[in-house]
Amino acid sequence: MSEPYLRPLPAKSPGTEPFWEAAAEHRLVIPKCQNCGDWNWIPYPGCRTCLSEDQVWTPASGYGTLMTWSIVSRGPPGFPSPYVTALVELDERPRSMVMLGNIVDTPHEDLKVGMRMQVVFEDIADEDISIWRFKAA
Amino acid sequence: MAFPSRKAAVVGVYLTEQGRGLPRTAWSLELEAIKGALDDAGLRPDQVDGLIPMAYVTPLNLHMAWTEQLGGKPITYLDVGSGAGAVAKAAAAIDAGLCKVCVIYFGNANNGNGPGAQKRHDKAPRVDDWDYMVHGAYMSVWYAMWTRAYMHQFNVRQEDLAEYSVIARYHATLNPASIMGKRGEITVDDVMNSRPIADPLHLLECPLDNDGGYAIVVAAEDIARDCKKKPIWVLGGAEATYTDSYRTITSPWISNEGAAVRRVGEMAFGNSGVTHDDIDVAGLYDCFPVTVARDLEELGFCKLGEGADYIKAGHLRLGGKMPSNTDGGLLSHSHNGNPSGMHTIEVVKQLRGECGERQVPDAKIGLTLAQGWAVHGLAGVAIMAAD
Repeated sequence: MSEPYLRPLPAKSPGTEPFWEAAAEHRLVIPKCQNCGDWNWIPYPGCRTCLSEDQVWTPASGYGTLMTWSIVSRGPPGFPSPYVTALVELDERPRSMVMLGNIVDTPHEDLKVGMRMQVVFEDIADEDISIWRFKAA
Repeated sequence: MAFPSRKAAVVGVYLTEQGRGLPRTAWSLELEAIKGALDDAGLRPDQVDGLIPMAYVTPLNLHMAWTEQLGGKPITYLDVGSGAGAVAKAAAAIDAGLCKVCVIYFGNANNGNGPGAQKRHDKAPRVDDWDYMVHGAYMSVWYAMWTRAYMHQFNVRQEDLAEYSVIARYHATLNPASIMGKRGEITVDDVMNSRPIADPLHLLECPLDNDGGYAIVVAAEDIARDCKKKPIWVLGGAEATYTDSYRTITSPWISNEGAAVRRVGEMAFGNSGVTHDDIDVAGLYDCFPVTVARDLEELGFCKLGEGADYIKAGHLRLGGKMPSNTDGGLLSHSHNGNPSGMHTIEVVKQLRGECGERQVPDAKIGLTLAQGWAVHGLAGVAIMAAD
């Protein structure tokens, strides 16, 4: 039997349901402004570019490049040691979006600034949620 | 309208004991600090009419509870902010007639920032959807990622950044109140061989995580002239926020992310009429060595990518061009949860000439930089001077 998952999990707060429904199907959706066409991460009530609230959860490519990372030896309770936390800049434009997440299934020695990454999802055992991770594309 | 230079002064400062696991409450530490800072100034609690807790999220009833605790009269100026920025805002509010005596305060007990302070749960706790703790990105992890990106972009050696840890510890050895000073000086090798925390960072590149309280009293010119200690005049300052509390990161991260610090630095040098060469002593936010390197760059003491060289050249060390964090800073003196006012307190003591073995000779003008939450997400600068 595997260890229970004891790391903090998102609350699935009201308004974010489409994101978590897509995540459960291992698809990344991000709010895209219907007024100016810009993407917004993290999701805000209004578009950062034009402040329109007319935003639609839209499939994103799920690909990006590795900006930076840390291999963490000293984590909070519930985290395996070591784990890798990273910042990945998604391919979508014009404004860049940087996502925070853990890197999985990628040897630490392969990590390089600028390398291609893809978003994957992990179904959390005994919980009603799937969390995004990154791995080498 | 110009910033009201020399219309208000820091007249009182106080640090409680700083240490791990103090048998105190946050409130008790804050009360001791407020009473201590008022006593340092020779002022009474019922003279306080301005309050700035060092908190980013402060319910209004916190201000109201302190209004009642202080027992005197209505509080007419309420604010939140970062230490140095709060000093600048208090001075501006005083000049505008909104208050006469403003107290900036913070206390923390048994509520650490680090992973050791996180509770173990029987079931995964639920947090805000986009919370960084979902991904284990506590403070040292963020700064580890920042350090890696910085070293990559500017071809900086980690050993050169680590020189900052060495300087901070040296200063702490001259500060009897510091937590780490008693352990003695350290070398770059000691830093690089200390326990790995979040690669590339080691233990001695990370801040302390302890309890403690502090308070700063800013008063109007007429009151300041009659206080017990010599007034330390507020010449200028500013505060700015830029990114959303570690939940968003811009690209490029380096340079752009420092927009808050760059902006407040430009404003403070502009509204104080002081130049970089005028600064005798500084308090630069120093939660990690890379933070100090970036502070120096964004404030214009050196060019982008040259912060580590500036540190390595010894300019921040006592005896150097601009001694900084002479109390030992957040790595070797105290990081009490929200230490954004600690740098201001040390610079005030320097400008008063109260620093004993670690005194910067003839220190007349000082600069302090506070940061909070996001790397440069909330920044404040105050430039202050003795008479």
